[in-house]
Amino acid sequence: MTVRRSHYLPRTWTGRVAAVAFLACMALAQPPVVHGFADRIEPWVLGMPFLFAYLLGVYLLMIGVLIWTARRRV
Amino acid sequence: MEPWVVSTSLIFLYLAATIVIGVLANKRLSANMEDFLLYGRQAGFVVLYLTVVATFHSAFAFLGSGGYFYTHGIGFWAAGTWTILVGAITYTLGTRIWALGKKFGYITPADMLADFYESEVVRVAAAAVSVLFTIMYIQVQARGLGYILSVATGDRIPIELATALLLIVAALYLIVGGLRAVYWTDVIQGIWMYVAVWVGALVLVYKIFGGPVALWRRLATERPDLLSLPGPEGFFTPGMWVGMTIVLSFGIVFQPHMMIRYYTAASARTLKLLGATTPLYLMSLFIPMAMVGLGGALVLPDLAGADADTIFPELLFRYAPAWLTGLILAGATAAAMSTLDSILHSNMTVLTRDVYQRYVAPNRSQGHYVAFGRCVVLVLLAVGYFLSVNEIDFLVSLVTLAAAGALQLMPAVLGVCFPGRRTTTAAGAVAGIATGLVVLYLTRIEFVRPLGVHEAVWSLAANFVATWAVSRMTRPPSSETVERIHGEVESFVYGDRGR
Repeated sequence: MTVRRSHYLPRTWTGRVAAVAFLACMALAQPPVVHGFADRIEPWVLGMPFLFAYLLGVYLLMIGVLIWTARRRV
Repeated sequence: MEPWVVSTSLIFLYLAATIVIGVLANKRLSANMEDFLLYGRQAGFVVLYLTVVATFHSAFAFLGSGGYFYTHGIGFWAAGTWTILVGAITYTLGTRIWALGKKFGYITPADMLADFYESEVVRVAAAAVSVLFTIMYIQVQARGLGYILSVATGDRIPIELATALLLIVAALYLIVGGLRAVYWTDVIQGIWMYVAVWVGALVLVYKIFGGPVALWRRLATERPDLLSLPGPEGFFTPGMWVGMTIVLSFGIVFQPHMMIRYYTAASARTLKLLGATTPLYLMSLFIPMAMVGLGGALVLPDLAGADADTIFPELLFRYAPAWLTGLILAGATAAAMSTLDSILHSNMTVLTRDVYQRYVAPNRSQGHYVAFGRCVVLVLLAVGYFLSVNEIDFLVSLVTLAAAGALQLMPAVLGVCFPGRRTTTAAGAVAGIATGLVVLYLTRIEFVRPLGVHEAVWSLAANFVATWAVSRMTRPPSSETVERIHGEVESFVYGDRGR
């Protein structure tokens, strides 16, 4: 039987960049960052409380990574 | 004109439109299972996009999410994380499921698992998990629909009759047009619900508060506890945040009505674009719902318990014009029906393919199985109605386990779609599912969320450990099967570089 390399680690440079970027953004939207640094009302961002605006920014970043990955046809 | 007249007229107009679509879909239908159950594996980007988002967002998007923001505050904005994770899972895992389905003709999740693990026990376990935990959603959606129609008509149609009526309509267009009818109605439903939620929320926020910024400022002054974690009732602890992220992304994706959608894509590129862009829709739908739920907590602070879920319709009836209320409640109907019809379809598919065709009546004509599937929908309709109008304690418990229940297929599915250094075995997959379900029951029902950690985390961790441990001690699938299926995955993902 052919011994194959694991599929859990990306093999291409673009794949590695996409995986690391997505996981890093994901970590920014999880505890302890969310329950620590981001858990505040001020400063206000574009009229929104900080926690809401912060998470919105991280979410858009994550979607950006996915779209970038699709455009690079990884 | 009174609001209930407008609401009721629009909802009935919408229901009539779905039946017309079912009839139109029937004209394109050919009497084979792939066409009836899988849209002939030719769903393009727009149709697939709108059916996935409409199916993901159910009655919960209109009712439950507003209730969560109302009760637990800004913590429910965690919803953005799991909706984006759904996109990433579609991109990485959904495309592999699509490739294997296309190559080997899989129709259900159990088809894929049983083929790889060479085990009928795995097939039965996967089919049982698929049906058991999603059939309960029929009850949830049907009750939500009954509630919406009952509210829209000002209680002129009792909730039981409303539930029956909407279940019959969903079953009717599914029977007539198969998955094609479900997809085409989802296109309308997906657009309608998105527009309805945004327009409704903005109208309410401008009318009541003068705009979103004024709403946020007032919240910071009067209810700052709603703008911080873990929320007024301490619900959104770190353990709950992580658990909900897992269970409402992977847990939803592993439900059969979502997994079967992967088989229906016209191409892998379609699915990748879908994975990259559906989070925009899924995530942004919670922005207006945050404004509705949090704003509602300021102006109608006395809704307690399950009544909190009614905050959106309550605000609409008080502050929005009749025509708009009607449009939005019709959108809410669309949201619930798009999930209900998909669950009816997936249960019909699993019962027809994994049970009837496999064990009861093999080697019959394609038309025979299509006819049987239509009969199954009628049975599901009756079961769904019975569950909706009868409160059965055990079933109520089962509903709370639904998403985390489907999550238990995760290690087995990953074992097929992600070749690793060690191969997961049939015994490992079954042991993992069984262990996960037991731990899920214990950590949800008996010892509720130990250490404040969501039951999904406990059950999935136990499942992975059991799968890994038992797989190390038992015989893997034959090398020919592993080579055939993992070879296909390798070839699909890496092309010639993988060979």
